[in-house]
Amino acid sequence: MIDLKFANVSKRYRIRQGPEGATSENRLTRTLKGLWKPRKEFWAVRDVSFEVERGEALGIIGHNGAGKSTILKMLANITPPTSGEIVINGRLSALIEVGSGFHPELTGRENIFLNGSILGMTRREISAKFDRIVEFAGIQQFVDTPVKRYSSGMYVRLGFSIAAHLDPDILLLDEVLAVGDTAFQTKCLKRITQLKESGTTIVFISHDLGAVERVCTRSILLEHGEIQAMGPPDEVIAEYQARAGSTSLPPPLLKTSSLLSNEIEITSFTFRDGDGNEMSLARTGDRLTARIEYHCEAPVADVVFEIIFHTMDEEVICHFLSASDRPAEDIPEGAGMIEVHCDELGLFPGMYYVDVIVRRADAQPGFRIDSRHRCKNLRVDPGKQLRGLFYSPHRWDQPKPIVPSPTLVADAGVASEPKVGI
Amino acid sequence: MSISSQTADSFEAHPRKTKVIRAPSFSPVRIQADIAELYQYRDLLLTLTAHRVKVRYKQSILGVAWAIVQPFSLMLIYTLIFTYIARVPMTGTTPYPIVLYSALLIWTFFSTALTSATNGLVSHTHLVTKVYFPREILPLSYVLAGLFDLLIASPILIGLMIYYGVPISIYALYAIPIALILTVVLTSASLVLSAAQVHFRDIGMALPLVLQIWMFASPVVYPISAVPERFRAWYLLNPMAGIVENFRRVLVEAAPPNFAELGVSALIAVVFLPIAYIIFKHTEAKIADVI
Repeated sequence: MIDLKFANVSKRYRIRQGPEGATSENRLTRTLKGLWKPRKEFWAVRDVSFEVERGEALGIIGHNGAGKSTILKMLANITPPTSGEIVINGRLSALIEVGSGFHPELTGRENIFLNGSILGMTRREISAKFDRIVEFAGIQQFVDTPVKRYSSGMYVRLGFSIAAHLDPDILLLDEVLAVGDTAFQTKCLKRITQLKESGTTIVFISHDLGAVERVCTRSILLEHGEIQAMGPPDEVIAEYQARAGSTSLPPPLLKTSSLLSNEIEITSFTFRDGDGNEMSLARTGDRLTARIEYHCEAPVADVVFEIIFHTMDEEVICHFLSASDRPAEDIPEGAGMIEVHCDELGLFPGMYYVDVIVRRADAQPGFRIDSRHRCKNLRVDPGKQLRGLFYSPHRWDQPKPIVPSPTLVADAGVASEPKVGI
Repeated sequence: MSISSQTADSFEAHPRKTKVIRAPSFSPVRIQADIAELYQYRDLLLTLTAHRVKVRYKQSILGVAWAIVQPFSLMLIYTLIFTYIARVPMTGTTPYPIVLYSALLIWTFFSTALTSATNGLVSHTHLVTKVYFPREILPLSYVLAGLFDLLIASPILIGLMIYYGVPISIYALYAIPIALILTVVLTSASLVLSAAQVHFRDIGMALPLVLQIWMFASPVVYPISAVPERFRAWYLLNPMAGIVENFRRVLVEAAPPNFAELGVSALIAVVFLPIAYIIFKHTEAKIADVI
């Protein structure tokens, strides 16, 4: 039984390009000139075909801009395909963004009804599930408080809870697990698994490759709007990482920026394990070395190196700054390298993207010598088992008393006995 | 576990509908399916309408009274201007404040609802780009919320009529079909303007000015009889002319409606609505890409 079918689906966006130096003109003349120019075409999705069986969980992975969200939006009927055909068999509910239907002035209760009806539930259905929604979200006390006073965690929990209690035939999930605390994420994954087992067909987009591996029965790798691989999640994920690792320094986005002075060029950036071997997969708590290789055209004084780890959504997770524990470098002409060592990697499991920056220590914000945006990715798998938000390197020991003094022991012994005579 | 068994039940019970999504194209069959879908989503339309009304009055001290304040204060201003400063030739014996308030009542309903409905899609970008539902629900919910305001502001008219000793006749019942024609005109205009606003934000900029001109081109502050005879036919092409004039006539002048004037408005409304809906539905698919 096939629940979802994509047959040769393509989606084209047209981007109208303004003429060069358009800033000096007003919008009307720009629009009029733009009409004469051919519009630039951009294929977000090109000739994609796949089928999803009932009860299957399909994971879609790929870089930002690979077309994942466009596919989901076409499935959810938010945007139409340019060509091809999509067949949906059953009631579909999409959670593209948690809490997107909330109105801040209304209470939790009112918002449950509003959001539920936006997602296609009738008032009666919502009433029947109301208590379960509130309980799952854990907001019993605040159900009559306007949601503008909710914490962001409560907001997210309520949004997921509504969508997860719709009992759709097909459920689309886009990055819903990127938000919320770990405990709630676990709860969400459990609920998703539960829905899957009861026969709901699931399409799941996530940057959390571990979650894709756990939840999905099949996976698709997208690149530039085309399917590159399809099959069991572990194989597709391996393929994804092989591709991501093979391009060691892709054309950097900021290379053309006029703010780069370019005396030093970053020629390579690599992660290495404890033995110095190159790698792109680490575990939380592992020893990790990051190496920046560069070529210097002319000697530069007071240079600072930065490595920034961020998520897909550009949220900065971790920042290494070379000048934080040593003076800024004076870089002589020629090739060179600098390494940063992490005895125990603190990053939690997930996919991270790395920016590398070389700048002068006293540079104005944005002024850099060279900079590479997303030049590498690092997958972190669960290592030292943990809960919470991050791993902090630590060590345990049982300190022994320095000198076990016999008198102290004796005193203690005496103290515990009732003293006669006092 | 109760959750899984329930899902299993619904698995057997509800027949699955197959939906096919293709590139947008026009066909009469699709319009029929669109109307059926709108009916399916009627709960959402009601919830959103109730939500509009609630949000509008939630943190304001005067609350629902705001629905009355606007037409009432406009009435005071225009009465001041047109009875003490510039004199308007009135034909009947009805006091001018009542003549004004009755017309301002439906004009305010029309202009406020049209203004908010025009922005209805643009102000809900977060919904339109994230969830699917028939998009016409957004402008429609503003039309319905406006009707609610109209109901709130109406009793004041009755109060004024008692105060000035103006009698109410059986013809007042004609106000209901007239309000219906007005709602159809408003709905059509809302559909077209809200879809156009997605592409050209200039629409929203120009609207206050257009509404100002439109009001003076409708018999709000003066009676239709003040319009020179030779312009009358052209004047009536404005659907609001017949509506405003006859709404006032049946309510406060205790006279039967002029069916010729009203007929023109009704005809325009009935022809315009399906065209507006088709235009809206045709642009709907691309809204999420353009907005």
